[in-house]
Amino acid sequence: MTPPPVTSNAAPDSATGDLSLFGFIESVSDGVVIVDQQDRVVMANRAALGLIGHTRDATLGQPVAGAFRIFLERMRSRKPSGPMRFEHFYDNEWYMVQIYALVSPDGQSSTAYTIVLATEVSLRKRREFDFIETVAGLEEATRIAQMGTFKTIWQTGQIEWSPHMYTLHGVTPDTYNPASGGYAKFVHPDDRDYVQRANRDLAQGNAIANVQYRLVLNDDVLRWMRIDSRVLFDSSGAPYASFGTCQDITETKRREEELRELLRRNAILYEALEASPNGVAVLTAEETGLTILYVNAAFEQLTQHNSFSLNTAGLDALVTDDQSRVWRSFNAAMNASEGGAFEVDCRRRDGSVFPAQVELAAVRDHPGRAATAYVITVRDLTAEKERAAVLLQSQKMEALGQLSGGVAHEINNLLQPVIALSDLGADVLERDPGKAKQYFEVIGNSGRKAREVVRQVLTFARRDTPQLLSHDVLPLVIDAINLAAKGLPPNIVVETHLDLEDAKATLSATQISQVILNLMRNASDAMNGRGRIVVDLRRCAAEDVPAGMDRARPWIRLIVKDEGCGIDAQALARVFEPFFTTKPVGKGTGLGLSVVYSIVNTWGGTIKIDSEVDQGTTAVIYIPEQI
Amino acid sequence: MAHILLVEDSPEVSMSVREILSAAGHTVAEAASGKQALEQLKAAKFDAIVSDIWMPEMDGIALLKEIRGGGSKIPIVVISGGAPNAPLTYTAPLAATFGANVVLYKPFEKEELLGAIKSVLG
Repeated sequence: MTPPPVTSNAAPDSATGDLSLFGFIESVSDGVVIVDQQDRVVMANRAALGLIGHTRDATLGQPVAGAFRIFLERMRSRKPSGPMRFEHFYDNEWYMVQIYALVSPDGQSSTAYTIVLATEVSLRKRREFDFIETVAGLEEATRIAQMGTFKTIWQTGQIEWSPHMYTLHGVTPDTYNPASGGYAKFVHPDDRDYVQRANRDLAQGNAIANVQYRLVLNDDVLRWMRIDSRVLFDSSGAPYASFGTCQDITETKRREEELRELLRRNAILYEALEASPNGVAVLTAEETGLTILYVNAAFEQLTQHNSFSLNTAGLDALVTDDQSRVWRSFNAAMNASEGGAFEVDCRRRDGSVFPAQVELAAVRDHPGRAATAYVITVRDLTAEKERAAVLLQSQKMEALGQLSGGVAHEINNLLQPVIALSDLGADVLERDPGKAKQYFEVIGNSGRKAREVVRQVLTFARRDTPQLLSHDVLPLVIDAINLAAKGLPPNIVVETHLDLEDAKATLSATQISQVILNLMRNASDAMNGRGRIVVDLRRCAAEDVPAGMDRARPWIRLIVKDEGCGIDAQALARVFEPFFTTKPVGKGTGLGLSVVYSIVNTWGGTIKIDSEVDQGTTAVIYIPEQI
Repeated sequence: MAHILLVEDSPEVSMSVREILSAAGHTVAEAASGKQALEQLKAAKFDAIVSDIWMPEMDGIALLKEIRGGGSKIPIVVISGGAPNAPLTYTAPLAATFGANVVLYKPFEKEELLGAIKSVLG
């Protein structure tokens, strides 16, 4: 709207002609503008010019415009008996406008009009205006935001709800009248006090914001509501009305709760990662490359790297040799989005080194897709390695003690007749040469037994590993069985199932003989020299090859089986230990199976012993067949 | 001279110890295990026992327990194949605690055995 163009101040013309009246008009605080029949300004007082901000020269003789012209025309057509009043808003100010008609002497027509502009507008008028403006704006906003709105006129107790407000509360204007009270029945019992307090605040003139409470709707459905409201005051300053919005925030609440739970879990996970004794680093894999997102406290402590320094230095900085085979396979696994465990020498930031197990795990958003992240775990193996070394050393010492003790025991026993009988032999040599001869035989036998012990010990220690050549296995086994059978008690029956044509293996005849001799002697001893020994030799079917062995290659299987006393589980676990024996001294050296074990190992083969007490024992040897 | 029960599973050791004892004028009965020894002890009266430790059926320690458990005070000389400090010899010192009068370690001289027999026979 354009301002009422104000005119004047030429000398008052016929319209007034009264200088004192003109002076009065000029002096009043209200703005006064007089226009002629053609709506041209013929006079404007100082107040009017001040209000409008125009000069007298720019105003006089110009027609008024906008709202003033509309009202002047209305005035002319309606010919009201009194002045016409309206409010007009211009340039952030509110004006009370009154237009008086100056009637011609005949009383039939208006000759001129006087417009009075007053700036005094009641406070209430302003509030009402604000209110209207607010309501208009909010209603538009709430319509868009699916909010319910409510108005309360405090002085009349009138309450109005927008249609959506009813929907939010699961009611209709027919079933519920907000003015009738009873709103509390919608509210969850625990929240009723809170809602009542907020309403009391409103009634006392305090705006409320973000009041959140639960509604219990018909079918016991809980919905979260949020209410915001402001208060409008009348001219006396008392709360006149309030206008507010109501919003269903159930979904927001749920998301907030989910987010809170997620954050809580994240916090727990974070704490767990931080507390882990193993170093943990999390990397993200993006097109631009790998980024170290996080390293835990143990990782920083172990490697002296934080995520920043590691991002700068790169993962290769973690190892002493980034070209090592194991580190290359680590990188290959990473490139292939795979996981794995790698034992490497880790390098700290200060250059010091520690042995570590580095485990790589790929994180995928979807199975089958490339990894989006990796988790690297670093475990310091220093203590473990030291423990293992100490254990190995003590095991070595124990084995050495066992070996030397066993050898000493055997040799001591064999030396006893050598010493005693050589003395006695010298004594009786002339008196009883027959007896002396008998003594010398025992001495000689003892010496030969001692030689056998030493030989076995040396075989066990692999000091005299014979040269291994390609041999046809069957003839060697037959020879070995025949040789061994000769030394067995007469009541031992040897049953053979030999089904092996043209099978070669890399071994020595002595070794085969030692293996079969030891196994058959054990079998015979287990049966107290009476019973049946079964020797079975054939190619092993792939499905019979024990798990853990290479099934793709051919194996020869040698079985030596007895019907003897068997071995209990505890002893079975130790049968390959040197000098472990279930036989009395003199019967066994405790080296037999240890020797067999070490021989089979030189072939790249495997030996397994199955036994149960009183159910007999089966020794199965798998020999790699030469292809 | 005494009648001695010799308990030893190794035929060579048994023979050589028997020869030492009989050359010194003792009479010797032989057993190859603790079990055989107990049978012979029931059947005859002996002045002393010379026993190995590690034997089949019943070892020397079990034999000691059996004899001393029955209240017999018969002198017993234990002959052990283990060196005094070797890991397998734990049974030799144990023999003394189970009532062996003397423990000898193989190989011993004939004088050692005869001295031991003399000392236990008093």
